[in-house]
Amino acid sequence: MIDIKDLVMTFSGVTVLDHISETINKGEKIVIVGPSGSGKSTFLRCLNMLERPTSGQILFEGKDLTKAKEEELDKIRMKMGMVFQNFNLFPHMTVRQNITIAPKRLGLLTKEEADAKAEELLEIVGLPDKIDSYPSTLSGGQKQRIAIARALAVDPDVMLFDEPTSALDPEMVGEVLQLMKKLADDGMTMVVVTHEMSFAKEVASRVLFVADGNILEQAPPKEFFENPKNPRLKDFLSKIL
Amino acid sequence: MSALVSDFKQNFIENARWEYLTNGLKTTLLVTVGAVLLGFILGFLVAIVRSTHDRTGRMKILNFLCKIYLTVIRGTPMVVQLMIMYFVIFGSVVFFGSVELSKYIVAILAFGINSGAYVAEIVRSGIMAVDSGQIEAGRSLGFSYRQTMRLIVLPQAFKAVLPALANEFIVLLKETSVAGYIGIVDLTKGGDIIRSQTYSAFMPLLAVAFIYLVMVMILSHLVQRLERRLAKSDRH
Repeated sequence: MIDIKDLVMTFSGVTVLDHISETINKGEKIVIVGPSGSGKSTFLRCLNMLERPTSGQILFEGKDLTKAKEEELDKIRMKMGMVFQNFNLFPHMTVRQNITIAPKRLGLLTKEEADAKAEELLEIVGLPDKIDSYPSTLSGGQKQRIAIARALAVDPDVMLFDEPTSALDPEMVGEVLQLMKKLADDGMTMVVVTHEMSFAKEVASRVLFVADGNILEQAPPKEFFENPKNPRLKDFLSKIL
Repeated sequence: MSALVSDFKQNFIENARWEYLTNGLKTTLLVTVGAVLLGFILGFLVAIVRSTHDRTGRMKILNFLCKIYLTVIRGTPMVVQLMIMYFVIFGSVVFFGSVELSKYIVAILAFGINSGAYVAEIVRSGIMAVDSGQIEAGRSLGFSYRQTMRLIVLPQAFKAVLPALANEFIVLLKETSVAGYIGIVDLTKGGDIIRSQTYSAFMPLLAVAFIYLVMVMILSHLVQRLERRLAKSDRH
């Protein structure tokens, strides 16, 4: 589904991603872990071209995003839902408007259909009574669940999660991870950057260890955590587990 | 007391002199409203160009032209701009065959172009204050840069700068009092004409000041109400 070929990203002379190649298949749940500043988030943000890579190719469903025109990219981004660390809900809109604005304005659904979709999604994320609330009245965990509903409203083929629980109070992490697990169980293709190792163990089909701008090791979670080979990964795991 | 009453009669009642004030007020309002509309449109356009350039590096030439506009307009006095507009730029132009109408058009252009420069910087600061995560969220949903601006960034920026914009509106209302320099009889000029006829300064000038004050107070009140409505989404 996503083919990454020789991806390089440099910010003013500093190499953040150093020739990464990787393939993500439909239905996979990829969890990316690694020390901070290792390029995990940059890698994720290159996948939907929020950051433009310095060189290399990103092929999404066969189309090279690095060569796509802006209008094409807009269409492709619709197929790649993104969830941010800081939620980035639209503060001037109610929950309903947050969820319905994209399908309505992008011409995917009529107003009635979008409203029905919003109600359905709020049911899934467990916040049906918040439909007319403003984001400022919600807790962090609730905000992130709404943000997930908003991303789902345009029926993406893949969901990208950029540290979705890092800005949450500890007691709210569970509700968001639970929702993500539900999505995974429903067959959504997911790429998740996170520090939640329990989530990686439980949900991932593959875990990627990114450090120094490279994927230093990857394996199914059992193997990844029980039998790490790369010394950097061993060191990393010994610090966090 | 009776001196005050006769002063009042002489300045406002005799020869229906109060009409100088009411007609002047109409002119002031007309010029202000026209200039505000023009200024807001100009200001938003310039602000969008400038902030798009700041964020993405595109629109280099347009941004350069906008910077010249801002520098010139903000670096010269309003009265001078008004006179240059009337005597130099449109010195020999008569719009729609009417000298009187031409004055109004020139005044609206001059005040609007002037106000646009200040509105532009106000709105730009509002746009730049919107968290870049908002743009990313918009783009990640599939919106174009333009749609993201229109649907997500500008409404938030507008709300943030509303008090400053209202202030600019109020400044503009008062600034139109120099319209007399190109022979427009606005509120200020109307009061001044009464003074020149009655040789009494106290009543007409205080009346003029009072009318400006009341207008500003009404405007301030309306803005407060609008702000309260916009603040709905901030309530906890």
